[in-house]
Amino acid sequence: MTNLVELAARLLDCEDRETMLGDLEEAGESSWRRLLDISGLVIRRQAMLWQSWRPWLAAFGLAFPASLLLMGFSLTITQSFRHLGAPGHPANGFAIPVLLSQVGLLVGWSWIGGFVLASISRRTLWVSMVLCACPCLFCLARFRVPHLPSPCLLLFLLPAIWGVRRNFRAPVMQSRTAAGLALAVTLLTIFLSNGGLPNWILTWPAWYLAATAETSRV
Amino acid sequence: MLGEFEYLLISAAVGIGDRAYSAAIQREITATTGRRCSIGALYTTIDRLAAKGLVKTAMGEATPQRGGRAKRMVRVTPKGVQEAKSFYDAVTQISRRTLWAVKDTGGAS
Repeated sequence: MTNLVELAARLLDCEDRETMLGDLEEAGESSWRRLLDISGLVIRRQAMLWQSWRPWLAAFGLAFPASLLLMGFSLTITQSFRHLGAPGHPANGFAIPVLLSQVGLLVGWSWIGGFVLASISRRTLWVSMVLCACPCLFCLARFRVPHLPSPCLLLFLLPAIWGVRRNFRAPVMQSRTAAGLALAVTLLTIFLSNGGLPNWILTWPAWYLAATAETSRV
Repeated sequence: MLGEFEYLLISAAVGIGDRAYSAAIQREITATTGRRCSIGALYTTIDRLAAKGLVKTAMGEATPQRGGRAKRMVRVTPKGVQEAKSFYDAVTQISRRTLWAVKDTGGAS
């Protein structure tokens, strides 16, 4: 039970953990009561975070829709790559540049998405991760495209995790860098939209990043 | 206006003075009301009061009876004192003609 109490306390901030465990020790509470008190505080703290718009935007405006769209784009890239290497594929001078642009856009969207996700609401990141994982697991279970391995759906995950990690290590980005990234991603989005509607759902995080670059501290 | 528990917390902290911290406030509230007050609820209320600028918190010293862990010191701000006084005045005012208040003052109305 003591281990469970320590485990639950790990969900609190460092200072809260220190003072809470000290208070419970001083009050001579039983292990069961300690566990209840700590769990109650953790739940209240999480609930309070959701009074802000930020976790909602991160989870339902970014993590969930972006994971669905990026899985689709990962699949498109894999198919383009296979067609390129297929025997009898008509030589096309644009095929390689287009594929490289697609890869660049996937990395850009995913990296920026991960960075912005951690920047908008780091303390509810676990919920965003669950909302990202749910469609991934659903699609992996139902993946039925011949000659393509199902993990190709998850090509976007590595750059996305890289973006999250970058935000954890250095949450501030120079505004010039952020504006450059936003511009590059937007141009690639328009270039690859094939005359259709560009995918702004995946592009807004880049402009959010550019708009908040100098103030994006956690 | 303050809530009941917020008022109890501020009053207990003011009563204890400079050495007010979460566990001491909990003891004071439990002893006064006779109801167990959970540390988790206390922390949530302290957070809310701190967000409103009614209390300030700081890390205090560690003691052996706490397993060598630091205290969370609580200091009521002048704004907090004012809010508690408003709450007390309102409760006193609205209670002045109630049966229990009349009994306490010896039956005078």
